[in-house]
Amino acid sequence: MSAAANITRAWLVAGAAGLSAVALGVHAQTAGHATDFTTTEYFEPPHQQQIKTILSGAEAQPQPGGLLIIKQLKLEKFGVDGRLECVVTAPECIYDTMAGTASSGGHLQLQNGDGKYRVEGEGFLWRQTNSLLTISNQVRTRIENGAKTNLKP
Amino acid sequence: MKRLCLMLIAAGGCLLVQAQTNTGGTLPTARGPTLISSASADFDLAGHEATYHGHVHVDDPQMNLVCEKLVADVPEAGGHVNHIVAETNVVIDFTDTKGQTNHATSDKAVYIYEEQGGATNETVTLTGNPQIENAKGTLTGDVIVWDRLNNHMSASNQRMVFRQNFSGLMSDTNPPPAASPPATTNSPPAAAENPEPDTK
Repeated sequence: MSAAANITRAWLVAGAAGLSAVALGVHAQTAGHATDFTTTEYFEPPHQQQIKTILSGAEAQPQPGGLLIIKQLKLEKFGVDGRLECVVTAPECIYDTMAGTASSGGHLQLQNGDGKYRVEGEGFLWRQTNSLLTISNQVRTRIENGAKTNLKP
Repeated sequence: MKRLCLMLIAAGGCLLVQAQTNTGGTLPTARGPTLISSASADFDLAGHEATYHGHVHVDDPQMNLVCEKLVADVPEAGGHVNHIVAETNVVIDFTDTKGQTNHATSDKAVYIYEEQGGATNETVTLTGNPQIENAKGTLTGDVIVWDRLNNHMSASNQRMVFRQNFSGLMSDTNPPPAASPPATTNSPPAAAENPEPDTK
Protein backbone atom coordinates (compact mmCIF):
# COMPACT_ATOMS: atom_id res chain seq x y z
CA MET A 1 0.00 0.00 0.00
CA SER A 2 1.50 3.32 -1.05
CA ALA A 3 1.70 6.27 1.28
CA ALA A 4 -0.18 8.35 -1.23
CA ALA A 5 -3.04 5.88 -1.34
CA ASN A 6 -3.18 5.88 2.44
CA ILE A 7 -3.38 9.64 2.39
CA THR A 8 -6.27 9.50 -0.02
CA ARG A 9 -8.13 7.06 2.17
CA ALA A 10 -7.49 9.16 5.24
CA TRP A 11 -8.94 12.15 3.48
CA LEU A 12 -12.01 10.21 2.50
CA VAL A 13 -12.64 8.88 5.96
CA ALA A 14 -12.15 12.30 7.46
CA GLY A 15 -14.46 13.87 4.95
CA ALA A 16 -17.19 11.36 5.57
CA ALA A 17 -16.96 11.95 9.28
CA GLY A 18 -17.48 15.60 8.75
CA LEU A 19 -14.11 16.56 10.18
CA SER A 20 -12.45 18.14 7.20
CA ALA A 21 -14.93 20.45 5.62
CA VAL A 22 -12.30 22.99 4.76
CA ALA A 23 -9.59 20.62 3.63
CA LEU A 24 -11.91 18.77 1.30
CA GLY A 25 -13.72 21.79 0.03
CA VAL A 26 -17.01 20.53 1.31
CA HIS A 27 -19.67 23.06 0.55
CA ALA A 28 -22.38 21.72 2.76
CA GLN A 29 -22.50 18.88 5.16
CA THR A 30 -24.35 17.37 8.02
CA ALA A 31 -22.87 15.18 10.69
CA GLY A 32 -21.22 12.18 9.02
CA HIS A 33 -22.37 13.24 5.62
CA ALA A 34 -20.15 15.08 3.17
CA THR A 35 -21.21 16.68 -0.06
CA ASP A 36 -19.34 17.94 -3.07
CA PHE A 37 -16.05 16.56 -1.88
CA THR A 38 -12.77 16.22 -3.71
CA THR A 39 -9.67 14.33 -2.75
CA THR A 40 -6.30 14.47 -4.44
CA GLU A 41 -3.61 11.84 -4.57
CA TYR A 42 -0.05 12.72 -5.55
CA PHE A 43 2.71 10.65 -7.07
CA GLU A 44 5.43 9.38 -4.87
CA PRO A 45 8.85 11.11 -4.92
CA PRO A 46 10.44 12.41 -7.02
CA HIS A 47 7.11 13.42 -8.59
CA GLN A 48 5.37 14.26 -5.35
CA GLN A 49 4.26 17.61 -6.74
CA GLN A 50 2.32 15.95 -9.55
CA ILE A 51 -1.28 14.95 -9.13
CA LYS A 52 -1.92 11.26 -9.71
CA THR A 53 -5.67 11.07 -9.17
CA ILE A 54 -8.55 13.32 -8.27
CA LEU A 55 -11.50 11.59 -6.73
CA SER A 56 -14.68 13.59 -6.35
CA GLY A 57 -18.29 12.96 -5.55
CA ALA A 58 -21.55 14.72 -4.92
CA GLU A 59 -22.17 12.91 -1.68
CA ALA A 60 -20.40 10.55 0.71
CA GLN A 61 -22.35 8.63 3.31
CA PRO A 62 -20.32 6.63 5.85
CA GLN A 63 -21.37 3.08 6.59
CA PRO A 64 -20.26 0.54 9.19
CA GLY A 65 -17.02 -1.27 8.56
CA GLY A 66 -15.18 1.60 6.98
CA LEU A 67 -17.45 1.77 3.97
CA LEU A 68 -18.58 4.90 2.17
CA ILE A 69 -21.48 5.21 -0.19
CA ILE A 70 -20.38 7.72 -2.80
CA LYS A 71 -22.78 9.26 -5.24
CA GLN A 72 -21.80 10.81 -8.57
CA LEU A 73 -18.32 9.40 -8.37
CA LYS A 74 -15.71 10.88 -10.66
CA LEU A 75 -12.15 9.63 -10.78
CA GLU A 76 -9.58 11.41 -12.91
CA LYS A 77 -6.20 9.78 -13.43
CA PHE A 78 -3.18 11.77 -14.60
CA GLY A 79 0.24 10.87 -15.90
CA VAL A 80 3.48 12.10 -14.41
CA ASP A 81 3.57 14.74 -17.14
CA GLY A 82 0.24 16.11 -15.93
CA ARG A 83 -1.71 14.86 -18.90
CA LEU A 84 -5.18 13.51 -18.22
CA GLU A 85 -5.09 9.76 -18.87
CA CYS A 86 -8.61 8.65 -18.09
CA VAL A 87 -11.84 9.56 -16.38
CA VAL A 88 -14.11 7.10 -14.60
CA THR A 89 -17.63 8.08 -13.57
CA ALA A 90 -20.39 6.20 -11.81
CA PRO A 91 -23.72 7.31 -10.37
CA GLU A 92 -23.04 5.44 -7.15
CA CYS A 93 -20.52 3.10 -5.58
CA ILE A 94 -19.33 1.73 -2.29
CA TYR A 95 -15.82 2.69 -1.33
CA ASP A 96 -14.06 0.40 1.12
CA THR A 97 -11.60 2.60 2.93
CA MET A 98 -9.80 -0.37 4.45
CA ALA A 99 -9.38 -2.42 1.31
CA GLY A 100 -8.97 0.51 -1.03
CA THR A 101 -11.64 -0.71 -3.40
CA ALA A 102 -14.70 0.83 -5.00
CA SER A 103 -17.51 -1.30 -6.30
CA SER A 104 -21.06 -1.15 -7.51
CA GLY A 105 -23.63 -3.24 -9.29
CA GLY A 106 -24.61 -0.21 -11.29
CA HIS A 107 -23.48 1.69 -14.32
CA LEU A 108 -19.94 2.87 -14.99
CA GLN A 109 -18.29 4.91 -17.71
CA LEU A 110 -14.62 5.12 -18.55
CA GLN A 111 -12.91 7.23 -21.16
CA ASN A 112 -9.36 8.13 -22.04
CA GLY A 113 -7.94 11.64 -22.00
CA ASP A 114 -9.40 12.86 -25.28
CA GLY A 115 -12.66 10.94 -24.99
CA LYS A 116 -12.09 8.97 -28.18
CA TYR A 117 -11.94 5.69 -26.26
CA ARG A 118 -15.08 5.24 -24.22
CA VAL A 119 -16.27 2.25 -22.22
CA GLU A 120 -19.43 1.61 -20.29
CA GLY A 121 -20.81 -1.37 -18.48
CA GLU A 122 -22.78 -2.64 -15.54
CA GLY A 123 -21.20 -3.63 -12.25
CA PHE A 124 -17.59 -2.90 -11.43
CA LEU A 125 -14.77 -3.31 -8.98
CA TRP A 126 -11.91 -0.84 -8.83
CA ARG A 127 -8.77 -1.78 -6.93
CA GLN A 128 -6.90 1.33 -6.02
CA THR A 129 -3.62 -0.33 -5.12
CA ASN A 130 -2.90 -1.60 -8.62
CA SER A 131 -5.26 0.59 -10.65
CA LEU A 132 -7.22 -2.40 -11.91
CA LEU A 133 -10.82 -1.91 -12.96
CA THR A 134 -13.09 -4.86 -13.63
CA ILE A 135 -16.41 -4.37 -15.36
CA SER A 136 -18.60 -7.38 -14.78
CA ASN A 137 -21.39 -7.16 -17.32
CA GLN A 138 -22.43 -5.76 -20.68
CA VAL A 139 -19.16 -4.10 -21.55
CA ARG A 140 -19.38 -1.78 -24.54
CA THR A 141 -16.43 0.13 -25.96
CA ARG A 142 -16.50 2.80 -28.65
CA ILE A 143 -13.26 3.88 -30.30
CA GLU A 144 -13.40 6.94 -32.49
CA ASN A 145 -11.00 6.37 -35.34
CA GLY A 146 -10.86 10.07 -36.09
CA ALA A 147 -9.51 11.65 -39.22
CA LYS A 148 -6.32 9.71 -39.46
CA THR A 149 -4.77 9.36 -42.87
CA ASN A 150 -2.80 6.18 -43.28
CA LEU A 151 -0.54 6.69 -46.27
CA LYS A 152 2.51 4.77 -47.29
CA PRO A 153 5.21 6.67 -49.17
CA MET B 1 -4.13 -28.90 -67.89
CA LYS B 2 -6.55 -27.77 -65.21
CA ARG B 3 -3.78 -27.78 -62.65
CA LEU B 4 -1.58 -25.71 -64.88
CA CYS B 5 -4.40 -23.27 -65.43
CA LEU B 6 -4.93 -22.91 -61.69
CA MET B 7 -1.25 -22.25 -61.12
CA LEU B 8 -1.23 -19.62 -63.82
CA ILE B 9 -4.25 -17.97 -62.27
CA ALA B 10 -2.56 -17.94 -58.89
CA ALA B 11 0.61 -16.51 -60.35
CA GLY B 12 -1.35 -13.92 -62.29
CA GLY B 13 -3.21 -12.91 -59.19
CA CYS B 14 0.06 -12.54 -57.39
CA LEU B 15 1.40 -10.26 -60.05
CA LEU B 16 -1.74 -8.21 -59.87
CA VAL B 17 -1.48 -7.85 -56.13
CA GLN B 18 2.23 -7.08 -56.25
CA ALA B 19 1.69 -4.36 -58.83
CA GLN B 20 -0.97 -2.75 -56.73
CA THR B 21 0.98 -2.84 -53.48
CA ASN B 22 3.77 -0.84 -55.06
CA THR B 23 1.48 2.14 -55.30
CA GLY B 24 1.02 2.29 -51.54
CA GLY B 25 -2.26 2.00 -49.69
CA THR B 26 -4.68 4.41 -48.20
CA LEU B 27 -7.54 4.24 -45.82
CA PRO B 28 -10.43 6.63 -45.85
CA THR B 29 -9.46 9.81 -44.06
CA ALA B 30 -12.47 9.59 -41.76
CA ARG B 31 -13.31 6.10 -40.59
CA GLY B 32 -16.31 5.26 -38.53
CA PRO B 33 -15.98 4.15 -34.94
CA THR B 34 -14.90 0.72 -33.78
CA LEU B 35 -17.28 -0.92 -31.32
CA ILE B 36 -16.27 -3.69 -28.92
CA SER B 37 -18.74 -5.58 -26.77
CA SER B 38 -18.09 -8.38 -24.32
CA ALA B 39 -19.49 -10.08 -21.26
CA SER B 40 -16.84 -8.60 -18.96
CA ALA B 41 -13.54 -6.78 -19.07
CA ASP B 42 -10.49 -5.88 -17.02
CA PHE B 43 -8.74 -2.54 -17.41
CA ASP B 44 -5.21 -1.98 -16.22
CA LEU B 45 -5.32 1.78 -15.87
CA ALA B 46 -1.62 1.93 -15.02
CA GLY B 47 -0.55 -0.34 -17.84
CA HIS B 48 -3.05 1.11 -20.31
CA GLU B 49 -4.35 -2.30 -21.29
CA ALA B 50 -7.85 -3.71 -21.64
CA THR B 51 -8.76 -7.40 -21.55
CA TYR B 52 -12.20 -8.38 -22.79
CA HIS B 53 -13.69 -11.73 -21.83
CA GLY B 54 -16.62 -13.74 -23.14
CA HIS B 55 -18.50 -13.37 -26.41
CA VAL B 56 -16.26 -10.58 -27.64
CA HIS B 57 -17.58 -8.82 -30.73
CA VAL B 58 -15.67 -6.16 -32.64
CA ASP B 59 -17.54 -4.13 -35.22
CA ASP B 60 -15.12 -2.12 -37.28
CA PRO B 61 -15.72 -0.25 -40.55
CA GLN B 62 -13.37 -2.69 -42.25
CA MET B 63 -14.19 -5.93 -40.48
CA ASN B 64 -16.20 -7.77 -37.88
CA LEU B 65 -14.43 -10.00 -35.38
CA VAL B 66 -15.70 -12.52 -32.87
CA CYS B 67 -13.60 -14.30 -30.24
CA GLU B 68 -13.61 -15.31 -26.59
CA LYS B 69 -10.76 -13.16 -25.32
CA LEU B 70 -9.32 -9.93 -26.63
CA VAL B 71 -6.46 -7.87 -25.23
CA ALA B 72 -5.99 -4.33 -26.52
CA ASP B 73 -3.96 -1.35 -25.47
CA VAL B 74 -5.87 1.69 -24.31
CA PRO B 75 -4.75 4.64 -26.39
CA GLU B 76 -3.53 7.83 -24.81
CA ALA B 77 -5.14 11.11 -25.81
CA GLY B 78 -4.57 11.62 -29.50
CA GLY B 79 -3.19 8.12 -29.86
CA HIS B 80 -4.17 5.02 -31.77
CA VAL B 81 -4.89 1.47 -30.69
CA ASN B 82 -1.59 -0.11 -31.68
CA HIS B 83 -1.87 -3.68 -30.51
CA ILE B 84 -4.76 -6.12 -30.25
CA VAL B 85 -4.62 -9.85 -29.57
CA ALA B 86 -7.75 -11.94 -30.15
CA GLU B 87 -7.77 -15.50 -28.90
CA THR B 88 -9.98 -18.59 -28.97
CA ASN B 89 -12.38 -19.30 -31.79
CA VAL B 90 -11.45 -16.20 -33.72
CA VAL B 91 -13.76 -15.41 -36.64
CA ILE B 92 -13.20 -12.39 -38.86
CA ASP B 93 -15.46 -11.25 -41.67
CA PHE B 94 -14.29 -8.46 -43.91
CA THR B 95 -15.03 -6.98 -47.29
CA ASP B 96 -12.17 -6.10 -49.60
CA THR B 97 -11.95 -3.09 -51.86
CA LYS B 98 -13.73 -4.97 -54.65
CA GLY B 99 -16.64 -5.68 -52.39
CA GLN B 100 -15.75 -9.34 -52.05
CA THR B 101 -16.57 -10.82 -48.67
CA ASN B 102 -13.96 -12.88 -46.86
CA HIS B 103 -14.40 -15.20 -43.91
CA ALA B 104 -11.34 -15.91 -41.76
CA THR B 105 -10.96 -18.28 -38.82
CA SER B 106 -8.02 -19.05 -36.54
CA ASP B 107 -7.07 -19.73 -32.95
CA LYS B 108 -5.35 -16.39 -32.59
CA ALA B 109 -5.22 -13.08 -34.42
CA VAL B 110 -2.79 -10.25 -33.71
CA TYR B 111 -3.45 -6.74 -34.96
CA ILE B 112 -0.52 -4.34 -35.11
CA TYR B 113 -0.58 -0.68 -36.09
CA GLU B 114 2.71 1.14 -36.26
CA GLU B 115 4.13 4.29 -37.74
CA GLN B 116 7.83 4.25 -38.51
CA GLY B 117 9.76 6.79 -40.52
CA GLY B 118 6.64 8.31 -41.96
CA ALA B 119 5.31 4.95 -43.12
CA THR B 120 2.29 3.26 -41.61
CA ASN B 121 1.86 -0.47 -41.24
CA GLU B 122 -1.38 -2.12 -40.24
CA THR B 123 -1.46 -5.91 -40.22
CA VAL B 124 -3.52 -8.78 -38.88
CA THR B 125 -1.59 -12.02 -38.35
CA LEU B 126 -3.59 -15.22 -38.04
CA THR B 127 -2.07 -18.30 -36.38
CA GLY B 128 -3.44 -21.60 -35.15
CA ASN B 129 -5.19 -23.31 -38.06
CA PRO B 130 -5.75 -20.07 -39.95
CA GLN B 131 -8.09 -20.13 -42.91
CA ILE B 132 -9.53 -17.48 -45.19
CA GLU B 133 -12.45 -18.30 -47.43
CA ASN B 134 -14.10 -16.23 -50.12
CA ALA B 135 -16.11 -16.79 -53.26
CA LYS B 136 -13.03 -17.79 -55.20
CA GLY B 137 -11.59 -20.34 -52.82
CA THR B 138 -10.00 -21.12 -49.49
CA LEU B 139 -6.52 -20.22 -48.28
CA THR B 140 -4.86 -22.04 -45.39
CA GLY B 141 -1.34 -22.03 -44.01
CA ASP B 142 0.74 -22.02 -40.84
CA VAL B 143 0.58 -18.24 -40.62
CA ILE B 144 -1.51 -15.84 -42.68
CA VAL B 145 -0.70 -12.14 -42.64
CA TRP B 146 -3.25 -9.64 -43.85
CA ASP B 147 -1.84 -6.24 -44.74
CA ARG B 148 -4.90 -4.09 -44.19
CA LEU B 149 -3.56 -0.95 -45.79
CA ASN B 150 -2.67 -2.68 -49.03
CA ASN B 151 -5.39 -5.31 -48.81
CA HIS B 152 -2.72 -7.90 -49.40
CA MET B 153 -2.28 -11.35 -47.89
CA SER B 154 0.68 -13.64 -47.48
CA ALA B 155 0.96 -17.09 -45.97
CA SER B 156 3.61 -19.57 -45.00
CA ASN B 157 3.17 -23.18 -46.05
CA GLN B 158 0.15 -22.06 -47.92
CA ARG B 159 -2.43 -24.30 -49.47
CA MET B 160 -5.16 -23.03 -51.72
CA VAL B 161 -8.39 -24.65 -52.78
CA PHE B 162 -10.05 -22.87 -55.67
CA ARG B 163 -13.70 -23.09 -56.43
CA GLN B 164 -14.65 -24.09 -59.93
CA ASN B 165 -16.68 -21.05 -60.91
CA PHE B 166 -13.98 -18.58 -61.85
CA SER B 167 -16.43 -16.19 -63.38
CA GLY B 168 -14.55 -13.24 -62.02
CA LEU B 169 -11.08 -14.37 -62.99
CA MET B 170 -11.83 -16.19 -66.22
CA SER B 171 -14.53 -14.11 -67.76
CA ASP B 172 -13.71 -15.27 -71.29
CA THR B 173 -14.18 -18.93 -70.59
CA ASN B 174 -17.20 -21.08 -70.04
CA PRO B 175 -17.55 -22.10 -66.41
CA PRO B 176 -16.95 -25.78 -65.66
CA PRO B 177 -19.82 -27.99 -64.54
CA ALA B 178 -21.16 -26.96 -61.17
CA ALA B 179 -21.08 -30.54 -59.91
CA SER B 180 -17.30 -30.79 -60.24
CA PRO B 181 -15.38 -31.13 -56.98
CA PRO B 182 -13.18 -28.24 -55.92
CA ALA B 183 -9.69 -28.17 -57.33
CA THR B 184 -6.79 -28.33 -54.93
CA THR B 185 -3.32 -27.12 -55.61
CA ASN B 186 -0.16 -26.28 -53.80
CA SER B 187 0.86 -22.99 -55.24
CA PRO B 188 4.33 -22.68 -56.73
CA PRO B 189 7.12 -21.17 -54.62
CA ALA B 190 6.86 -17.92 -56.51
CA ALA B 191 3.36 -17.46 -55.23
CA ALA B 192 4.20 -18.04 -51.60
CA GLU B 193 4.50 -14.39 -50.76
CA ASN B 194 1.26 -13.41 -52.39
CA PRO B 195 -1.08 -16.35 -52.33
CA GLU B 196 -4.31 -14.43 -52.46
CA PRO B 197 -5.37 -14.45 -56.09
CA ASP B 198 -7.40 -11.32 -55.95
CA THR B 199 -7.83 -9.29 -52.84
CA LYS B 200 -8.31 -5.87 -54.38
